[in-house]
Amino acid sequence: MTTTFKTPPRLGDRVPKSQRKRWIFTGIVGVLAIFVNIPLFNAILVSFKPDGDIGKNPLGLPTNPTLDHYANVLYASGYDFPRFFANSAMIAVGTVLLVLCIAVPATYAIVRLRFGGRWILDSASALRLLPAIFFVVPFFILFTNMGLQDSILGLVIANTFLNLPLGIILLAAGLRDIPIEIEEAASVDGASVYRTLFSLVLPMLAPTVVAVAVLVFIFSWNDYLFALVLSTSNATPVTLGAANFVTSTGIRWGDISAASFLSTLPPLIFAVFAQRYLVSGLSAGAVKG
Amino acid sequence: MTKGRPELAAANKKRPKRKNTAAAALLSLPLLAFALIFVAYPLVSGILTAFQAKTLLDPSAAFNGIDNFTALFKGPGFAKSAGFTVTYSAIVVTLEMILGFGLALLVNRKFPGKKAFFTMLLLPIMVAPALLGVMFRLLLNGDIGAVPALLHGMGMSVSLFAPDSVIPLLVVLDVLQWTPFTFLIIYAGLQSFPEELLEATAIDGAGYFRSLWSVVLPVLKPVLFAAFFLRAIDALRTFDVIYVLTAGGPGTSTTTLSIYIYKAAFESGDFGKAAAASLLVLVVLLPFVPFIVKRIASTGLEGKK
Repeated sequence: MTTTFKTPPRLGDRVPKSQRKRWIFTGIVGVLAIFVNIPLFNAILVSFKPDGDIGKNPLGLPTNPTLDHYANVLYASGYDFPRFFANSAMIAVGTVLLVLCIAVPATYAIVRLRFGGRWILDSASALRLLPAIFFVVPFFILFTNMGLQDSILGLVIANTFLNLPLGIILLAAGLRDIPIEIEEAASVDGASVYRTLFSLVLPMLAPTVVAVAVLVFIFSWNDYLFALVLSTSNATPVTLGAANFVTSTGIRWGDISAASFLSTLPPLIFAVFAQRYLVSGLSAGAVKG
Repeated sequence: MTKGRPELAAANKKRPKRKNTAAAALLSLPLLAFALIFVAYPLVSGILTAFQAKTLLDPSAAFNGIDNFTALFKGPGFAKSAGFTVTYSAIVVTLEMILGFGLALLVNRKFPGKKAFFTMLLLPIMVAPALLGVMFRLLLNGDIGAVPALLHGMGMSVSLFAPDSVIPLLVVLDVLQWTPFTFLIIYAGLQSFPEELLEATAIDGAGYFRSLWSVVLPVLKPVLFAAFFLRAIDALRTFDVIYVLTAGGPGTSTTTLSIYIYKAAFESGDFGKAAAASLLVLVVLLPFVPFIVKRIASTGLEGKK
């Protein structure tokens, strides 16, 4: 957040008292912030406990922290976790690239060159509100016919389908915030549409492009439904792989917790280090159409 | 349908007429091609499948009229899952709106450690629902979970996944994950609130709730509306967490519409029936869509804080 939280000094406010009052809010918000993350923190704690400890001591901190579970997940044969992880990475990065390649030029054409018109943006908003489950069966049939079933490319396409509306909505909003005068000047100077888009508009649009990239990465990393339907083994991402861990490996709770924490790590890293883009993207995406 | 929007009209007036149709068409080509193959075609094929006797094993396209729909209404599963989905969504969204609003008011002030805790509050939104389902299993497992151990220590023995406790459990879990989302949207809305108004509200301790009601709520209405509808739409299509945790059970007591459709298609292999159920859901939701699109588009909240 780049917002500054200015509270003007109020008459009659004594500093120590208001300071103490503020710490109360730190306490309350802190407790709530920890509370909503209990599942995550619990998984992290369990992942460092030796197998024997997990059942005996469900509530305490790990007494003899171990990295065995991480070693198992990453190196033990038969788990395939590194492959799931690589699949997720390829799917997420591929989706980000495809969404941007499709959405950036098209949004420019719609907003600035008045191509198509308002209905394209409206249908993008509408599409985002429709239940994805409707498309599951048609996608399954289509992908089976096209030979895209259980392939990385197939899941990239499915996730592009899911995220393209958000990308278009955010980019259109970002584009409208850029003054058009610069582009007009460029066109008077004889710059082509393509040149204007790539060397003039794109740099100014960069913050929105980054926000779209971050959100699309997280959403496609987190997809489960389409992965469940459209992948069987070759293209399995971590969401599906980690959920299968529970049934396929029975009681290996330590390994499961390590796998689920590692799988959550990339989106969490974005949440911490790209928070500005995330917050702007989520809140603008929520309210702009 | 939104031609009358002032913002758009202003933009149109400013924009000079250019003859770049060819360039515009070329730039839109990837989108048009993608939309044709992966949006329009699946949409049409989904609608057609609803009137066909397609199955997983026999994808031949024999039309069977409205047989799929009559089958849906004859069996108890569809109506039951629709009822569960609507009730469940109504409960979780109501709770998330109230708690998210409260949390946003709580955080909307200066206090030490605000930045770190704000980040922490957003983490649940980032965790994949399916992975969160796995983490919940870890937390709630009868043998090794921290929650049953805690309850046991307090002298209670509750079987969390039993038929009469599983729905409240799922409600709590959904509220834990998605209250941060309503919080974020409402908090962003509060940031664009005139500061003096909030100050006045905060200082006047006695009338806090009254000014909340008469000053803050009206201004915040569009934002609350956006948060409500986005959550409602998401709640109505809930799949991941519940599927990972209960697979719709015990019995069919936690089967959402999405789980029902998924199972009809890929467990029973009845594509026609699944497509018919999807089409019904789509048709029921469709009338709301233009309304929501219009309302959400007109909030005008800047998200760049």
